[in-house]
Formats: sequence, C-alpha cells, structure tokens
Amino acid sequence: MSTQNQPLIQVKDLTKSFPIKGGLLGREVASVKAVQGINLEIRKGETLGLVGESGCGKSTLGRCIIRLIEPTSGQVIMNGQDITTLEGEGLRALRRKMQIIFQDPYASLNPRMTVGSIITEPLEIHGLFNSKKDREDRVKQLLETVGLRPEHFNRYPHEFSGGQRQRIGIARALAVEPEFIVCDEPVSALDVSIQAQVINLLMDLQQKLGLTYLFIAHDLKVVEHISNRVAVMYLGRIVEIAEGEELYKHPTHPYTKALLSAIPTPNPRRTEQRIILTGDVPSPIRPPSGCHFHPRCPIATEQCKGEAPQLKLTRADHQTSCLLAKPQ
Amino acid sequence: MSMPNTDSLPLTAAAASTSTNSTSRNSLWWDAFRRFKKNKLGVVSFYVILLYVIIAALAVAGILYPDISVPNQADAYASISLSHPFGTDIFGRDILGRAIHGTVTAISIGLLASTLSLVIGLVLGSVAGYFGGKVDAAIVWLYTTVDSIPYILLIPSLTFVLGRGLINVFIAVGLTSCVTTARLVRGEFFKHKHRDYVMAAHALGANDRRKIFGHILPNVAHLAFVQFGLGFVSAIKIEVILSYLGLGVDPSQPSWGLMIDDAKTSSPVRTGATSRQRRCLCLD
Repeated sequence: MSTQNQPLIQVKDLTKSFPIKGGLLGREVASVKAVQGINLEIRKGETLGLVGESGCGKSTLGRCIIRLIEPTSGQVIMNGQDITTLEGEGLRALRRKMQIIFQDPYASLNPRMTVGSIITEPLEIHGLFNSKKDREDRVKQLLETVGLRPEHFNRYPHEFSGGQRQRIGIARALAVEPEFIVCDEPVSALDVSIQAQVINLLMDLQQKLGLTYLFIAHDLKVVEHISNRVAVMYLGRIVEIAEGEELYKHPTHPYTKALLSAIPTPNPRRTEQRIILTGDVPSPIRPPSGCHFHPRCPIATEQCKGEAPQLKLTRADHQTSCLLAKPQ
Repeated sequence: MSMPNTDSLPLTAAAASTSTNSTSRNSLWWDAFRRFKKNKLGVVSFYVILLYVIIAALAVAGILYPDISVPNQADAYASISLSHPFGTDIFGRDILGRAIHGTVTAISIGLLASTLSLVIGLVLGSVAGYFGGKVDAAIVWLYTTVDSIPYILLIPSLTFVLGRGLINVFIAVGLTSCVTTARLVRGEFFKHKHRDYVMAAHALGANDRRKIFGHILPNVAHLAFVQFGLGFVSAIKIEVILSYLGLGVDPSQPSWGLMIDDAKTSSPVRTGATSRQRRCLCLD
C-alpha cells in the first residue's frame, strides 16, 4: 500500500498543554502537558498505528493534527502547506481533506438527527451537489459503501447497533472525500466480532479510495493487523516508531518491550517472560525529568534522569527514543 | 479483502420492525404522540387544558357572555339565580361571565409571558454556555442581577415604569422568569458543547450557528418545553397577584386577581364569591 514513501503529513515539534486555572483570579497555576514536542511523518496511503496507555496523549495528538483542538506550538504540514496557521476559508477547505472517526459510536452521532441528515450535513456545509435529490443519492451511495442499506436514510441512530453506528460515522467522514482520516480508537467500544468487520471495512475503503489513516488504539493486536508502521507513545512523547512487523519482532525501547510482553498469546506453554512495570503512569502535570520513562524503566541509569532522549535510528527505518538503545 | 457481509449483521428489533413503515410514521414527533396517547393522566390533563382554551376562544368570539362590562347598579350583589349562576359583583356584572373572560386574560398572559421568557432564556443561556469566558461572565452577571431583586418588587417597579396594562405585565413577567431557563440551558450547553457529535460537526467545518441551533439546541429543547409549562402556570399566578395588588391589568379588563380583590371587599355582604374565583385558579 505504501509504495510511495512521500509524506502526506509532517508533524514538527508539536506540543499541546491544557492550562489548569486556579486561585481567586483564575490565573494559570499549572498545565497538563498532553503532547510534548512530537515529530512525526505520515506517508501517503499508509496506516500509521499509534499506541500507548490511556492518558498518554494519543487522542490529543490526533486531534491536534486535524486541528480539532488547537496545538500550543509546533507545525503540521500537509502536502507542503503549514496548516496550523490556516483560518477562515482556508481552514474550511482543510476540513474537507482531513476527517475523524470517533471512539464512541453512541456519543458521536446526534440523537435528534436522522442518518440521512447526519451524512448530508457535510455536503451542505461544503456546498457539494446542488440539488437535494443529488445529495440524497450521494448519501445513499455512501451508505452502501460502508455496508448499510439506502433505506436506512430516514432512521435515527438509536435504531442501530454499535457496529452499524460506527459505519454511519465512517460514512459521515467519507462524505467530504478526505485524503486523511484520524481513526480515534474506532473499534475499542465494539464487540470483538464487530471489531473485525469494522477494521476490514476501513482497510477496504483505504484500498478503494487511497486513504491515509492515523489509527489510534490501545489494542496492540488490532494495530498490528491494520498498520503499516506503528508509533508507541508514552506520556506525551513518541518513544519508538517502526514498520509494524519490525517493531513487533525487534522492539528496542524498554517500554515497547513491556507492552508487547503483555499481549496474551493462545499458547499455554509460552516461556517468554512477562515484563511487569512497577508504579503508575506519572502525572502529565509534572512529568519526570530526563527520560519520562525512567522511574518505571527496568534498565534506567543515572544518565536517564538528567538527559531527555531524542528519536534516533536504531535499525533500518526504526527509530527509538532511548539513551541506552544502541544502533544495530 | 472482501467487503463484510452486512446482511448477516443483526438488525435491532426496532430497525427491523419499522423498515416497511413510511418515513412520516418513523419521526420522533410521531413517536412522542404514540407515547402521549398511552399516558392516561396526560390525555385527561390535555382535555382539561383544551376545555379552558375552548371557553376562552368562545369568550373572545363573543358567543359566551358578550356583555360582561355593562354595569347594572340595580343588580349589584345579586345572589345566585338562573340568569346569574354565580351572582353579580358590586357593579351588577355577572361573575360567571367575568370569570370566563378572565380565562382569556390568564391564557394570554401565560402564553405570551412564557414565550417571551423562553426566547430570552434560550438565547442568553445558549450564548453564555456555548461561548463561555467573558461573554458568559457578562450574561451571568446580567441575569443574577435581575434575579437578586425580589420579583414582587421588580415587577411592580417595571409596571410603574412601563405603565399599567396587559402588555406590560407580559414584558415584566417575561423578563423576570427567563432567569431559570437561562441557567438551565447554559448548564446543558456546557455539557453538550464538548460531546463527540458537536466535535464531529466542528471537524466537518460547521460554523457556530449550525452547532448551536442545528446540534446542541435540539438536544436541550426538552428543558425548554418543561420550562414553558412551568412558566405558563407561574405567569398566571403572578398576573393574579399583581392584579390583586392593583398593579396588573387595567381594572376594566376581567382578571381573576381583580375579581378576588373585588370579592374580598364584598365578602361581608355575601360569602362564596371569593371562593369561586379561587376555585378557577385551582383548576388551572
């Protein structure tokens, strides 16, 4: 799928912090540093998996990239254009190129709107198709594309199951013919049997429409199945990024190793050791000094407390942010 | 990879059973109507309200007691008779007739004052809740200031400024009772504006107007309906109190509050008149 390695999106030093206001005058007393200096490249036509624990900033990163929330600093460059400074008409045009699929299929559809009006809305906003009839035809065609039936046009979201609702959300995102879609844990709220259907649908659509995905998840198996490359996030930073198979076979960051060792395998005689991390995820309000992972890292040294590691090439197309990782 | 076979997906029972129905039978309004029909108490209450509306409509049309304002001194304080089932007042006017015409005053106050308060409350509440920050602070300051003055003082002072009369009672009651609606709507907007469905609209490029009116407001409207009903009742009560105190509608206009006041002065002469006006209010 990713025969061309051209980047569609480049993320440069992206940070996002949420202020915590306190005191009588509502001054900023601290901030949650959700995303801290992310550098990332998403290539045309690929699926980049993004994994990490809850609260590590995966969703914030995804939402900053499509400017659903405004980044504090840094740049996002799409097709050579800096999109973080866009406003007005330019921003509206950008909305056509980037879309998002949400985790919760119950919260992401307006319960007072019919399926038809939910999917027609993007067409209205962007003035696509002139007549009502054309729009309706297009929506019915979209419903078929995502595996629903055109008769569902006049139904309300509450009449559908979780998986079907997620398909409606996908149809809404596809309505504007985007190039890039952030899938924000699109299957985490679904049954395992339905998960497979939705993932297969997403992969199918990618092939047919040449889409690029940022696939956010905490389920490593799901990410392995759908992604070309996988990035691992810990406390607002990317700690490792590599081709999917490469990462799963040769993890170099101790956090990735611990994550991968936690995947359950159907083999009762499995001999490999499970790496149990001690302690909790530190607070993003006061992240640890140096390498964010050092308080929980089994191999941390004195050096890790003082010096923040940068992503560096450790294997072919495999970057790790660990001071102790040796290039091989 | 092949497309997943959607026909094997289990449709929910509701979806399957309504698939053959026409679209109009599937709307949320139709569903609301069906549920309403099942609620016996609701249907009975609806007919009671309908009765009041019909009485008011007949009074306005001049079919029921067209000449209530004609004084007939000779007939003052007449007791109950066939021609005057509730007797007459100090000017010899028929009390039943005036009570019926008082319904018109009560319903129009209820409708207009609660509509006005609903509109103001919705606009203030949604703007404050949606935009937050300084806009919110200003609007909250505005309505808490209005709210801090006891309405029994505020409404008379408004009617002093605006003058006596039905229209001014509408305005006074509307302005003071919008505070609760504004508060509730503001709270709901705070809750809804970060929901995923609003985020999705934002990601699609929807503007503020579309997000407020197209998305959030329909999900908050249930509050408005309830507030409208409550506002209706309290507007009638406030009108009665104001008229009783002589601050409400013009004395030539029939009003339950005025009649209670009237009957109070005549109570040594004849009991019963007061309680009859009060009964009208209770039924309402």
